[in-house]
Amino acid sequence: MKLKSFLFSLGLVAFASQAHNVVPGAPQAGPILLQGGTVHTVTQGRLENADLLFVDGKIVAVGQNLELPAGTTVIDVSGQQVYPGLIALDTTLGIIEIPAIRATVDTNEVGNFTPEVMAHHAFNSDSEIIPTIRYNGVTHAQVVPQGPLVRGQSSLMKLDSWNWRDAIEVSPNGMHVTWPRVGLNNSPWERRSPEQQRQAQQEQREQLKTLFETAKVYHQARESGAQQRVDQRWEAMRSLFKGEQKLFVHADDRRQIEQVLAFNEAYGFELVIVGGRDSWMIADQLAAADIPVIFGAAYGLPARVDEAYDTAFSTPKVLAAAGVDFAIAYPGFWDVRNLAFAAGNAVAYGLDYDQAVAAVTYGPAKILGVEDRLGSLEAGKQATLIVSKGDVLDHLGQDIQYMFIDGRLVDLSNRHWQLYQKYQERINAE
Amino acid sequence: MRKTTVQSLLLAGSSLFAFSVAATGAAGVGQDQTTPVQGLHHHNPSLVAFTNATLVTEPGTQIENATLVIENGKIRSIERNNRAPAGARVVDATGYTIYPGFIDPFSNYGVEQPARSTNRGRSAPPVYSNQREGGNAANAAIHAQRDWYETFKPDASAAKSYLQQGFTTVQSARLDGIFRGRATTVSLADTLPNTAIYQAQTRHFGSFDKGSSPQQYPSSLMGSIALVRQTLADVAWYQEAAGKVASNGQVEFNAALAALQNLQSTGMIFHASNEQNLLRAQQLFQEFSVPVTFVGSGYEYVRLDDVKATGAKLILPMTFPAAPALDEQFAELDVSLAHLRHWERAPGNPAALAQANIDFAFTLNGVDKPQEFWTNVRTAVTHGLSKDRALAALTTTAAEIAGVADQSGKIASGFRADLVVSRGDLFSDGEIVSVWTQGQEHSFKPMHPVDFKGTWTLTGFVPNAEMQEFTVKVNGNSRLQVELSHGEQSVRASRVAQDDDQLRFTVNLEAFGGQGVYRFALRHLALGRLGGSVQTADNQVMTVTAERTEEANSAARENGETAAKPEYVSQLTFPNIAFGQAALPQQQNLHIRNATVWTADDQGVLENTDIIVRNGLIHRIGQNLSTPRGYDVIDATGLHITPGIIDEHSHIAIAQGVNEGTEAITAEVRIGDVVNPDDIHIYRSLAGGTTIAHLLHGSANPIGGQGQAIKLRWGANAEGLKFKETPPTIKMALGENVKQSNWGEHYTVRYPQTRMGVAKIIQDGFQQAREYAEQHRAYERLSRAEKRRTAPPRRDYRMETLLQILESERHTHVHSYVASEVLALMDVVEQQGFRIHTFTHILEGYKVAKEIAEHGARASSFADWWAFKIEAFDAIPQNACLMMEQGVHTSINSDSNDLQRRLNTEAAKSVRYCGMSENDALKMITLHPAEQLEIAEYVGSITVGKHADLVFWNHHPLSAYAQVQQTWIEGRKYFDRERDQQLRAELAAERTALIQKVLGAGEEAQRGHRNGYREQQPTWHCEDHYDVWNDWYHEEHAHGHSHGHQHGFGGAH
Repeated sequence: MKLKSFLFSLGLVAFASQAHNVVPGAPQAGPILLQGGTVHTVTQGRLENADLLFVDGKIVAVGQNLELPAGTTVIDVSGQQVYPGLIALDTTLGIIEIPAIRATVDTNEVGNFTPEVMAHHAFNSDSEIIPTIRYNGVTHAQVVPQGPLVRGQSSLMKLDSWNWRDAIEVSPNGMHVTWPRVGLNNSPWERRSPEQQRQAQQEQREQLKTLFETAKVYHQARESGAQQRVDQRWEAMRSLFKGEQKLFVHADDRRQIEQVLAFNEAYGFELVIVGGRDSWMIADQLAAADIPVIFGAAYGLPARVDEAYDTAFSTPKVLAAAGVDFAIAYPGFWDVRNLAFAAGNAVAYGLDYDQAVAAVTYGPAKILGVEDRLGSLEAGKQATLIVSKGDVLDHLGQDIQYMFIDGRLVDLSNRHWQLYQKYQERINAE
Repeated sequence: MRKTTVQSLLLAGSSLFAFSVAATGAAGVGQDQTTPVQGLHHHNPSLVAFTNATLVTEPGTQIENATLVIENGKIRSIERNNRAPAGARVVDATGYTIYPGFIDPFSNYGVEQPARSTNRGRSAPPVYSNQREGGNAANAAIHAQRDWYETFKPDASAAKSYLQQGFTTVQSARLDGIFRGRATTVSLADTLPNTAIYQAQTRHFGSFDKGSSPQQYPSSLMGSIALVRQTLADVAWYQEAAGKVASNGQVEFNAALAALQNLQSTGMIFHASNEQNLLRAQQLFQEFSVPVTFVGSGYEYVRLDDVKATGAKLILPMTFPAAPALDEQFAELDVSLAHLRHWERAPGNPAALAQANIDFAFTLNGVDKPQEFWTNVRTAVTHGLSKDRALAALTTTAAEIAGVADQSGKIASGFRADLVVSRGDLFSDGEIVSVWTQGQEHSFKPMHPVDFKGTWTLTGFVPNAEMQEFTVKVNGNSRLQVELSHGEQSVRASRVAQDDDQLRFTVNLEAFGGQGVYRFALRHLALGRLGGSVQTADNQVMTVTAERTEEANSAARENGETAAKPEYVSQLTFPNIAFGQAALPQQQNLHIRNATVWTADDQGVLENTDIIVRNGLIHRIGQNLSTPRGYDVIDATGLHITPGIIDEHSHIAIAQGVNEGTEAITAEVRIGDVVNPDDIHIYRSLAGGTTIAHLLHGSANPIGGQGQAIKLRWGANAEGLKFKETPPTIKMALGENVKQSNWGEHYTVRYPQTRMGVAKIIQDGFQQAREYAEQHRAYERLSRAEKRRTAPPRRDYRMETLLQILESERHTHVHSYVASEVLALMDVVEQQGFRIHTFTHILEGYKVAKEIAEHGARASSFADWWAFKIEAFDAIPQNACLMMEQGVHTSINSDSNDLQRRLNTEAAKSVRYCGMSENDALKMITLHPAEQLEIAEYVGSITVGKHADLVFWNHHPLSAYAQVQQTWIEGRKYFDRERDQQLRAELAAERTALIQKVLGAGEEAQRGHRNGYREQQPTWHCEDHYDVWNDWYHEEHAHGHSHGHQHGFGGAH
């Protein structure tokens, strides 16, 4: 197996029988050249038969006939595809392991106003799930608390680390709000009347507005010195008023998104719409307001019986055509490994291929404000990249050969690979 | 309601209307014959003659100027000579129409109301058995032994809203449970029950809703159907077995089964909550030759031909839905086209049924506001229902259904004197002035109302000699206004008052040359004629008369009558939701040219290949074939064609519950009983290339229900979807779900709670089935004489099904995860002498693939699901590769209405994770699932002789970039992406038109039933095991005349 032999050659390998024994990559020791691949720079186009040189975790050059520093390890990637590491937004990686076992679930704090909680505090670097996500090319994940109203703060984590501290790429990187539901739930499980539902929604919106008004007053009182006592919750909200964090609002329905936009007119926070199921309906409006969208339903079923079967599949195309800044996300945990395929599916329904790659690399980086170092392959950027034998967005092509995060070679082994190996041994033994 | 009693008559002697000989209780005409008389004997006269009436004696028969004579609660005669018999109380019915009293054949009048369900879902311990008393049934939803006449009591206040709509008679039972007991048909007269009961025992009432039963079983529609089926089989058995000795002792006494003995002659009144359940119930009862009359839902028109084919009569709740709320901007985002269409067309349902010659009656049951009953009947008439059919729905048809056709429903000699007296035609603008039950009057409106409104010509008095007459205009409602005019001049009267039958006003007539203020008093003399006097300013009293010159409201009334039959802007499709089909696609003979054909058989992938499709089958495959005459040619250059995708594990198109997850073994329930052809996911899956779905029971119990393979023939009905060539299947399940690991703290008592117990209960089930078969064989061996003495063994559908499995006639699909449980099950069934057919999910199959292969089972797995629970924590995406490598024929299934649309890329994951060949990957979603359903001789590959179930792709079919262009089933095109794009535009336009129609109708659109729509069935999952009757409870019980419980439990009233 090629990967293993290369790991041997770099002296990095640790044969692991347990995924949590997969050892994090060591800091880059010497210059590495990826030679002869198709480099998807994302920002500078696609370069055929190009070389990519990185030193001390940073990309030094991309192109042909590069000058190599002494001691450069040359890896032949000819015929292979080089991409920036994929960035998964809106996940619960590391804060949930097995949903059916409550003890492994660290996603929801008590109450509907918990702005103070920070996802990385619960992030388990040794999650058995994380290596399986890396295996499909994901190098970073935004880890997001869950909850009904003001959830708390997310962090951008590297998916290869000894503990959450060295996993942190940016922390915190956003305050997350679940926008109150609008419209009617018509399912047989819903026992409230339409009037009761509307009333409850209205109350939730009022509550949310009151919370933000109080947060503003608290902030001003703290600024002016009028407020001495510290309240963890309001203190956490101050990051929004200081402009230190973006506001990520999870909203799917058209009416929710429009309410969010109207709400934010008074505050002017840096706003990101997460979910955005109906964003296709108001793409022009979102583009005009310059509001980015993390589209979370690339494989979604139509939200309504009357909608076309491919409504969700073709939403990325519509957003791109309207000029909306967007990223494709695959909210979840174990299934985040399908992120690249979800982008591929958007291509099947009209999204330009390079835009689809950008939607899982540069797009997310930009929304998170880390596009200066992640999400594209350019000199000066982090050496966070993947090499796939074929097209990373297609099941038939994706086959990750190498992953580097900050120039560190990442072991792609994982629980699944190991069990696969183990039971091949059973076949071999007979 | 004004109910005039003898006492009140004495006080209101001068009243011109409502001379009635009514009585209360035992003192009346309808007095019974057995009650000893206390005090004086009453002998009120009872002979009444309605003269000069228009009699509608029965639908289609109208007699003008007739005299109707009633006596002693019955109709004595109809006289044409317009003379009343001597001694009769005469009611002048000039200008009135008299109809037979109306009959509501579906009521809960005068009987007890259902108890509130004590079933509280997961928040309380489950109840698995019934409280036994009096030889009742083992299931608490069966009340067949109840005879509702036994506790019937007239209830004047409940009768009121019926009487006001013209009903005189109802067929009544407690509306609770599956077998609800035997109804009774009674008069709404306020009298002794003995007198009110017209037919003590009529039909059995029933429904699929277990109602207030706290018992777990049944929790699903298919469970209810299975319970009905078993009960009906038990009835037949009991008839033969009662009183005899069975192999296990004396045959028990069973009151419920005894009460159902005559069901084939009495028949059922069955409440079907929608037209699909109507068709389901029809099939079910037909198995046992039980005639059924259905209480409908108003949705019958959407499957009119199927409803017609049942031959059954219907009872229609006369209620139509209010328009969906659309006043807020974008409120339409919550409103489906199906609702908009139904809002528009629901009032046309009775007309559509009538046109199809389906007989029906109307019921007040389910009507939120009784006073809207007649508004709705008239709406139905404006939508094309003939007045005769409408009347039949209230009289003759209803009488037949209620078992009183020999005494009610017509005006005929000897029939009950149950009458409706109406001013005008009740079906257009008439109004009910009185209703007579058993010859007693219930008066609602004066028969000869004093209506001063209008324009009158006043003569007999003039203020000055030059005038001949005055014009007097009276208008207004509660406060009348009077204006006197002559020529151009007019003057307003003041102090206008009306009491009793007198109109009074004062008016200053100086403008007309009078001398001051005059005081007028006018009273009604005859139709259109007033008489009275005026006290002049100089104190003379002069007699005046006034003739009506013009009806006050005639203009408005004419408008009401000329309301045109509404034109529909909505389409009617199969199913009647967005993307439904106007008609089923035609079968085409095809020459498909120059495609890349993925055969999924040994031929592999064929480039530049033609396919000839003939009569729905693949006729030839080859290159450069010539086009047979009359064949349609499809140029498939650049396209890939695969066989239709087959999903071994699907839960789409299932109605009201995927799990009968109550008892550990429920092998008797059938998904085939609850196929739902209205599920939009049928269409969506076609758009993903899937043509066959194996609909499986969920995984809540070790031996669940029977499966049903369907072809996704979008637009067909439930029977039309079934892929009937498929041999019988059944779902079994192991592990966490069946041992209720994640069901909460209360669900810890059902055996089994461990994997040890799972193995044993399955073993026990099959052992019992074996012994069951032996009992039957032993009985068959008995001599004729012995058989006469011996009770036959009972037919047990649960055991019968297990027996089919034992005998390998029914193939098992076993939900399974971990290696231990898989090995244990194989052990158990090998001991019982059969093999597991297919393990489904089988996430740890790779660990025991060798053993599975040796056992001879197949496997169907998720592509990459894992980690959602502990038994899925060793699942790996290389599972399929490892199983295939060891000879286990493996398929990839969806278990999801989302994944069912993209099984191609799910299969491609085995290429991604473990390098499976593309051919094998394709077989995992075509040929292998066909083998797992034992239908590979028909489908699963593009092979000559197999069904032409074909998918056209624009790209390599396993690639992320592949998009389905067309999907064909047996030479019929069920999906076409181009047509789909057109449809989107058409549907958007239809939606817009309907939304505008709702908005344009304003307040009027808001009238009607708020909960009158049915939703798409929810997305079912394997582990969904909630009680549908708990949640659907409100539908069945939102009956009668109560309000405000659309979303709560309905049992409180």
